[in-house]
Amino acid sequence: MSKISGTVFKIKRFSIHDGPGVRTSVFLKGCPLNCVWCHSPEGIGSDISIWYNKNVCIACGKCVDVCPQGALMLTGEPEKYISIDRRLCTTTGDCVEVCPTSAIQFTGWVTTPSEVICEIEKDIPYFKTSGGGITLTGGEPLYQPDFAFEILSMCRERGIHTAIESSLFCPEEVIRQISDKVDLFIADLKIFDPFVHRQHTGESNLLIKKNLTFLVSSGKKIIVRIPMVKNITDTEENINSILGYAGSLSKNIPVEFIEYNPLAGNNYRRLGIPFPLDNLNKES
Amino acid sequence: MPKNFQIIPASERVLSLRKKTMSSERYISIGQAKIITRVYKENGDLPVILKRAYSLAAALNEMPLAIDPEELIAGNRTPDIRAGVVFPEAGLAWLEKEIETLPSRPQDPFGIRKEDVILLKDSIAPFWRGKTLEDNIYNAYGNELSSIEKVVKINQKDHAQGHICPDVEVWLRLGPSGLLEIAREKVKIAEGEKRSFYEAVSITLKASCNFINRYSELAVLMAKEEQDPVLRKNLYEISVTCKRLSEGPAANFREALQSVWFLFVILQMESNASSFSPGRMDQYLLQYYKDTDPDTALELIDALFVKFNQIVYMRNAHSARYFAGFPIGFNVTLGGVDSEGNDATNELSYLFLKAQDHIRLPQPNLTARLHKGSPPEFLDECSRVIGLGTGMPQVVNDESIIPSLREAGISQEDAINYALVGCVELSTSGNYLGWSDSAMFNLVKALELAINDGVCMITGNRIGPATGKLENFSAYEDLEESFRRQIDFFTDKMLSACNVVEEFHRRHLPSPFLSSVMNNCLNTGTDITAGGAKYNYSGIQAIQGANIADSLAVLKKLVFQEPIIDKSELMEALRNNFEKKEPLRQFCINRCPKYGNDVEWVDELGAKWIKYFASGLKKARNYRGGPFHMGLYTVSAHVPMGQNVGATPDGRLARTPLADGGMSPMYGRDKNGPTAVLNSVARVPSHLASNGTLLNMKFLPSLFRNETDRSKFTSLLKTFITLPIHHIQFNVVTSEDLRSAKADPDSWKGLTIRVAGYTAYFTELAGDLQDEIILRTTQGENE
Repeated sequence: MSKISGTVFKIKRFSIHDGPGVRTSVFLKGCPLNCVWCHSPEGIGSDISIWYNKNVCIACGKCVDVCPQGALMLTGEPEKYISIDRRLCTTTGDCVEVCPTSAIQFTGWVTTPSEVICEIEKDIPYFKTSGGGITLTGGEPLYQPDFAFEILSMCRERGIHTAIESSLFCPEEVIRQISDKVDLFIADLKIFDPFVHRQHTGESNLLIKKNLTFLVSSGKKIIVRIPMVKNITDTEENINSILGYAGSLSKNIPVEFIEYNPLAGNNYRRLGIPFPLDNLNKES
Repeated sequence: MPKNFQIIPASERVLSLRKKTMSSERYISIGQAKIITRVYKENGDLPVILKRAYSLAAALNEMPLAIDPEELIAGNRTPDIRAGVVFPEAGLAWLEKEIETLPSRPQDPFGIRKEDVILLKDSIAPFWRGKTLEDNIYNAYGNELSSIEKVVKINQKDHAQGHICPDVEVWLRLGPSGLLEIAREKVKIAEGEKRSFYEAVSITLKASCNFINRYSELAVLMAKEEQDPVLRKNLYEISVTCKRLSEGPAANFREALQSVWFLFVILQMESNASSFSPGRMDQYLLQYYKDTDPDTALELIDALFVKFNQIVYMRNAHSARYFAGFPIGFNVTLGGVDSEGNDATNELSYLFLKAQDHIRLPQPNLTARLHKGSPPEFLDECSRVIGLGTGMPQVVNDESIIPSLREAGISQEDAINYALVGCVELSTSGNYLGWSDSAMFNLVKALELAINDGVCMITGNRIGPATGKLENFSAYEDLEESFRRQIDFFTDKMLSACNVVEEFHRRHLPSPFLSSVMNNCLNTGTDITAGGAKYNYSGIQAIQGANIADSLAVLKKLVFQEPIIDKSELMEALRNNFEKKEPLRQFCINRCPKYGNDVEWVDELGAKWIKYFASGLKKARNYRGGPFHMGLYTVSAHVPMGQNVGATPDGRLARTPLADGGMSPMYGRDKNGPTAVLNSVARVPSHLASNGTLLNMKFLPSLFRNETDRSKFTSLLKTFITLPIHHIQFNVVTSEDLRSAKADPDSWKGLTIRVAGYTAYFTELAGDLQDEIILRTTQGENE
């Protein structure tokens, strides 16, 4: 038995926009980039923390009573809610345990490839009729390369179509090793200009381009995706540059435009962290 | 698939007929009631079956007729369109009480004419008091029925049997005149009761020929007066068509459709019952379609679709709230396999789907039979039409249903030829009295009694045997034993009550005309109510597996295994409807997995009791000598039945609706998407539900916006065929739109919604039913 484990923050069945057919998307936690528009901030950090969904909280205060650190407080008038002092929280999970509405939850869980496969196998009949399969996404799925590799290998053994949605920001050897196990790469190309890329994601995109070139040269099936973030990625110049670049690599790479999720801000509030795009929007 | 049929628009004539049909004012009609009353008064000494036959014959001979010069298919049971027909033999009690409020009631109002009210109150109602089916059942068995009514709802107490798929094929092949010949031959050699039966059949068939001929005569008269040459020609065509049908069988497509319609009009005139269903129209009509061009055929089908909306079933104020929009169950079944097991879809299957696209009215109820060999273009066309958002077609699964019918004792030949009647009820074609809505058994109420010593939590009255309280059960098995005893107690009482009701139907409502188109009544000289059909089933619905699974999961896991919840605390909370116990209620909802999320152990908890319930039905035979069998559907009874049930361990509040449909998860509790729902539903032993099942699913319209996305929906249909699930129906609508429609009904008048085996206008539904539909989980919603 392999000892590999990994951290996942969501498994979504009947996922219909992450590759062909009906798919199960597995969201791996942790990402080396820090895109200001990230719509699943709970997937950025590798560590598991607590998140709080005020909308379903009934302010019963059970979590406040059990927290050994005293990190929680019932507050607000007249609508009560829980405030979390994240400096005190040590993620014991006592609050998660007692919360009747699941308003307080962990932002992810540690699991094994076998457990993930169990979940995936439930929908094999739907993969078969639709030409679907699994999509590893995140976070950045290649940020946990061994875990990802193992899941993909196990899917391959079971004849399940494999896709990976990635920024391709990872060491070249990771791409080389994993590409054998992947039927379809969905590559998020966000910004063409390396400097602007660094400005908004924290890293340059030279490695990404290098990895993409490798995948093209090895004949992998690729879809390029551009997230449409207002005034950042959706500028005419950026889109044309990416289109030109993709075209120069190969004539057969489809480019898709992904509409930005307007509800992204909710996830930041649940984590108790500021939403960078809120500030950007205010500035612009 | 017919070439280019996709682009044929609905004709102006058909759209005009549609508009006239739906905008006509509705009145109650007592014309037929007057006739029936007269015949009964004049023939007091005759056997009931002859009184019934003479009443129907008199109505067929005397009722005023009307033809719209534009219509391609003529015929109705009243000169008014969509009249609320009063039918005294079955029951008048509700109407006597409600007649004055009929025009002003919020749901499905009917206009009344003053003179009709007087006639009804002064001469019709007094004659029938104590003589109707309803009165007799109540006098003989009323106390027993009310003693079990919180758990068991016995149906069919105040109207004649419907939910029947007559032998349309034989009707088309022989016509009323051909059937009449057979009956007349039989009269000659029959004696006693059988002789009366054949006489009665002959009387009704002869009058049927005359009824059809009267349309021919009227059409000629109208044609002579008609100035417009197109309409004049049409009236002559109606006249010729009706003349031929009054004398012989149908010979072409128009005659066949006209003939089918007359059959259903006359069936309604005899019985005024919910759900006489035409069954597999694309199969038996094919031989008449051969030489017809698709445009002409489609317009005729469109016209028939409009006609299906011209007969409505008037219900009392209470049931109108839950069956809004007069669902009368003209269920048309398309596709499926043929007798060799090959795909049976043909050009007509596609034309019927296209007619749904054209007409988009609540009737007919359209069902597509799918199987492993269904052609991809048929699946795609079904998806496209489902995506229009009219809730139709609903889909059923041959791979699951045919073996289930075989298991219930139906021959291979008949099982393959099954059709749906009414909403989702299963039937073979032309030889099956399924009595499909014999009773509904509220398992959730039985569970309440099982944990509360047989005492109703709402009233505090004892209604079941004393089988112990949750507080005193030391193990989960004690609870199971108590539950078993409650189920047994009420099952026994229910089966006896069902048979009492059936016996009274035989005494009061023999149906000779219906019997003439039901195998083997005519061969054996036995009326359908006396067991003359080849198959004699009685359907009992088990309500509601989802709440049972969810409640037992909480009890098993949180109360007995872990145990996190204290028994007394839970019982106190349930008795007080979770008052001041919201955290406990939320814990019950969120901290224990629910049916519909593909969690095997939870699904199996429900499945176990569904199985147990089904086995209990084998304890007795019905009055006609056939078996009782199970259905898993509520239609919309999950709302009123929920009103009888106190708070439940799954976190449901007292008196709120139970889970919808029959197979559906509790609304809003399925969180893992449609594939998880289907996997859970597949664990329910549907094969035991040979009376039919109902699964509601709601999808976002965006899933149908382009062919790529639609193909993902189609792939769900393809997987459905591989699962042991009988039925799914789909709503394609956003929750926001439903909320807006509830708030602003005037702007959303055209919004149709699949309630439960039938389609209705959303804005016409009762508020609590609207709320429940809004709360059903929408699949494909962005997170």
